[in-house]
Amino acid sequence: MAEAQSRPEGSTALLWTSITVVYAAIMLFPIFWMASMMVKPNDAMFARPTQFLFVPTLEHFSYVLEHGFHWYLLTSFLLCTVSTALVVIIGTPAAYAFARFEMRAKDDLFLFILASRMAPPVCLVIPFYLIFAKVGLLDTFLGLTLAYMTFNLSFYIWVLRSFCRDLPVELEEAAALEGWSKPQIFRRVVFPLLRNGIVATAVLCFIFAWNEFLFAFMLGGRAVQTLPVSIPKLITSQGVRWGEMAVVGMTALLPVLAVVFVLQRHIVRGLTLGAVKG
Amino acid sequence: MASASDTITPAEGVIRAPRERLWYPYLLIAPSMIMLVVVSLVPFLYTIYLSFHAAKFGRVTDFVGFDNYAVLLTDPRFWNSIGVAATFVLIAVPVEFMLGLAGALVLNQNVRGRSLLVPLLFMPTMMAPIVVGLLWKIMLAGSWGFFSYNVLERFNLLEGTSVFASPEYALYALIFVDIWQWTPFMMLAFFAGLQALPTGPYRAAAVDGASPLQMFFHITLPMMTPLLAVIGLLRFIDAFKVFDTIYILTGGGPGIATETPSILANKMTFEFWNIGEASALAVLVWLAFFAFCNVFYQVAKKRLNAF
Amino acid sequence: MKSRFWCFAAALAASTVLMAPLVPAQADDTSFYAEAAKPYKGSTIRVLDEITPLQETLSKIVPDFEKETGIKVEWELLNHFEVINKGQADMLSGRGYYDAIMLHGFQLGPMISAGVIRELNDFVADPKLANPNLNSADFIQNPFKTAAFVGEKQYSFINWNYNQIYWARADLLNDPGEKEAFKAKYGYELAPAATIEQMRDIAEFFTRKKGAMLAGKPLESDFYGIVLEGIKGGSTFPTLWNNFVKNYGGNLIDAAGKPDFDSPQTVAALKMWHELWTFAPPGIAEYSLVDVPTVMGNGIAAQSIAWSDFVLGIDKPGVSPLAGKFVYGPIPIKAGSTERYAEAEPSVTVISAASKNPEATFIFLQWLADKKQQDKLIALGSGGVPIRESSWALPAITGSANKTLYVAMKATLDVAEAKPKMPKFYEIYDVMSGVAQEVGLGRISPEEGAKKGQAELLKLCTSCLL
Repeated sequence: MAEAQSRPEGSTALLWTSITVVYAAIMLFPIFWMASMMVKPNDAMFARPTQFLFVPTLEHFSYVLEHGFHWYLLTSFLLCTVSTALVVIIGTPAAYAFARFEMRAKDDLFLFILASRMAPPVCLVIPFYLIFAKVGLLDTFLGLTLAYMTFNLSFYIWVLRSFCRDLPVELEEAAALEGWSKPQIFRRVVFPLLRNGIVATAVLCFIFAWNEFLFAFMLGGRAVQTLPVSIPKLITSQGVRWGEMAVVGMTALLPVLAVVFVLQRHIVRGLTLGAVKG
Repeated sequence: MASASDTITPAEGVIRAPRERLWYPYLLIAPSMIMLVVVSLVPFLYTIYLSFHAAKFGRVTDFVGFDNYAVLLTDPRFWNSIGVAATFVLIAVPVEFMLGLAGALVLNQNVRGRSLLVPLLFMPTMMAPIVVGLLWKIMLAGSWGFFSYNVLERFNLLEGTSVFASPEYALYALIFVDIWQWTPFMMLAFFAGLQALPTGPYRAAAVDGASPLQMFFHITLPMMTPLLAVIGLLRFIDAFKVFDTIYILTGGGPGIATETPSILANKMTFEFWNIGEASALAVLVWLAFFAFCNVFYQVAKKRLNAF
Repeated sequence: MKSRFWCFAAALAASTVLMAPLVPAQADDTSFYAEAAKPYKGSTIRVLDEITPLQETLSKIVPDFEKETGIKVEWELLNHFEVINKGQADMLSGRGYYDAIMLHGFQLGPMISAGVIRELNDFVADPKLANPNLNSADFIQNPFKTAAFVGEKQYSFINWNYNQIYWARADLLNDPGEKEAFKAKYGYELAPAATIEQMRDIAEFFTRKKGAMLAGKPLESDFYGIVLEGIKGGSTFPTLWNNFVKNYGGNLIDAAGKPDFDSPQTVAALKMWHELWTFAPPGIAEYSLVDVPTVMGNGIAAQSIAWSDFVLGIDKPGVSPLAGKFVYGPIPIKAGSTERYAEAEPSVTVISAASKNPEATFIFLQWLADKKQQDKLIALGSGGVPIRESSWALPAITGSANKTLYVAMKATLDVAEAKPKMPKFYEIYDVMSGVAQEVGLGRISPEEGAKKGQAELLKLCTSCLL
């Protein structure tokens, strides 16, 4: 669409760029403010009148490290990686099948997949808790990995299916004529072509798991504690440790920001949930 | 937009399995289906079971038929929560939609440094909702919030109350936070759609001397419709389920002014431990969503060719 | 360095001066726990408690139990709301991950009615398990008796005597200019409020706009006469109920458990409640029990009613710039009233009915409540909230810089009671804190508030006690 415009490039570029930058600056100010709280001394935190200038301190970082928050970061990372990997392993063939093959009641099955993401998570937590308590999955890595499937597996299949649909079917047909078996076709033809789509969708699943709070809080515990769940620990008897909270909040954001930065094209496409052809 | 359905011919992208290989696609979907049965269907069936039983304190006792549903449906608090959620969704989602579309159109102009701006603009959506809640507490909390103190109180805009303490403002503040958080999502999804549009029709229209406004209404909008519908409706469902930010910012208060079904369900389970009633609420919400999605899926598929 | 020395000195003093006459009994006690624990040596118990400065100090003592008995304690601290959520979920689901769980007094009604707390009567009667020298007569009796027992059934000992106190800015109350102005306006001396009416006058007197003078200096931002907890949930309603409604002669329920909220006394109390809110910061309806002490510590309000254990965390050099400039007092009562009520939340650690190690846990609970550990706790914390009468005489308390704090605390604890054991406490709490907010904010009149509260209560229960 951009190509369709025939105005002088320079001046309009400046206009649109400034509009975007100003908009971004306004919208991102609260995040910037929180970022500044990472190095703000406690007595300046909410001083009245507001202190814009202060001598930076690293005390919040040292508190966070002393209290072992890096372990929660590690837990989060491992948990999200494993659960996302599992989603990719079992979800990819399913997405491919839904895109490529005829099946009886395919629509109903697909709707079932969508529907599994419909219930408000808060309503699912108690059944999960009661079932997990019975089978001993509370506060286990496996338990949370499974719980994360409820929202991530359906999302993954849904989005990846659209990437699958866009693959040229001719390649697979050619391979079939060569006499390759179906698993061979999937492994050697489909999988390499799908790689970008898989990465993009998997990253989105990772982000959902990374930010998840309710399941991690109720179904996790001492053994499995994720970064978002660690945040309420900063509400202490000496008041809320806002500086430390800012450190943890920004730490949670940065890895995601970095990944989105690198993979932005694919991720944005994944966000359209398959309603856009790449 | 490509489309896949069981009625489409092989040439359009569906491989017809030879008779003897009919089991193959089922094999491919089997692990996922089993997993979803375990993690979604089983808990859900258990929820249905609980909703027909007295389960105060999580102790399943008598079968009570539809009693839990009757109690819920006659509870003004339940209807209040539906009303709150309806207000929330009906304001937040259209505003996010419009702002997102406008933003996407701007972003689609010759903006420089887009690869830097896109991830930055996307930050609110990427943040953990619990962090978003805390962030806006820092901004809007009464007396000490940055914005409350420097703007609202300085110019006495709230006349002696504070944002989250006021039944009038609290809900709108939550809506505002939702808009802040999710407009970037809409914007980027729409932007992706705009980027994928073919350039041919625009060239033809330019030759015909069409104005940018005409092009938008006659070319862009019709071609974008499926995407707009999918994203809008998905956001609609998600907005209805919002929990973390409301829980942190108001916990449903003041009074029950911001108590959505999610917040109410949370209260019913973790405070009152009326598990039967909470399960009934879950089933009702789920049924409503399911009906909604079913209709939407059929419409989106047939009319909009969106899936 | 200095404070550490002081701690050490206090501990030393505690152990030499006070323990001296008890030495033989002391030796018996130590060997008692070691002896009783023999069959359970090597086992592990899991205990969930909430995080306040008191528990943070206790964390340093808990490892001694393993050294003494060979029973390992996994001691987990979570914040207030998490302890309630996860602790109850663990008990109610019958999971039994935690052997012992800290419950606030108000949780006892619902949890006992759910049958998830193990009764202790058999253990208490068992000479192999019960320490004969525990001396439960030394527990501050009101909170202990009301929290630990239902009729003859005992469910716990006493662990935490959370209590509210009146809290004011001594620097302002003692300012000569302010004193003079106050006397001229109200006709009596400015001093920490003893009655609710005085608290109101002081609140009105100190509520000032930005630019006005306060203790001789111009204000850079608005200043408020009082700050109270006002959030929905939390302890907003108990604050209103025990400090105001009861001191005005009203109550939530009558002795038989029947809702009794729409009395004229309650209306009068609600009227005062609303009036005080008009002298509070605009954010009051958002303030939780964590925010109130923070607001006081930041110096934007003249007085408050707050939880004393949180005060211990705030009135410290390095935490609040105003540390040392505060004065404390008993919860103000209605002028002319002869009875006294004050909000407190005696809290206990109970054994989960699903625990697999109830005996070992029982030994641990006694050990915690034992005088030796309690003395150590107060010495290590340079003060604290006593659960034993004998603790008031400890040097860390008698020699505290915060003398008025302990006077205030003792006044509250003398009359402190655990909440009545109401199975529907949470539902009641939820609607009543809404009423407290609406009346406080002036959305509904005190009369309407009392009526609405009564109607909501009647919807929940006509006989609300266990």
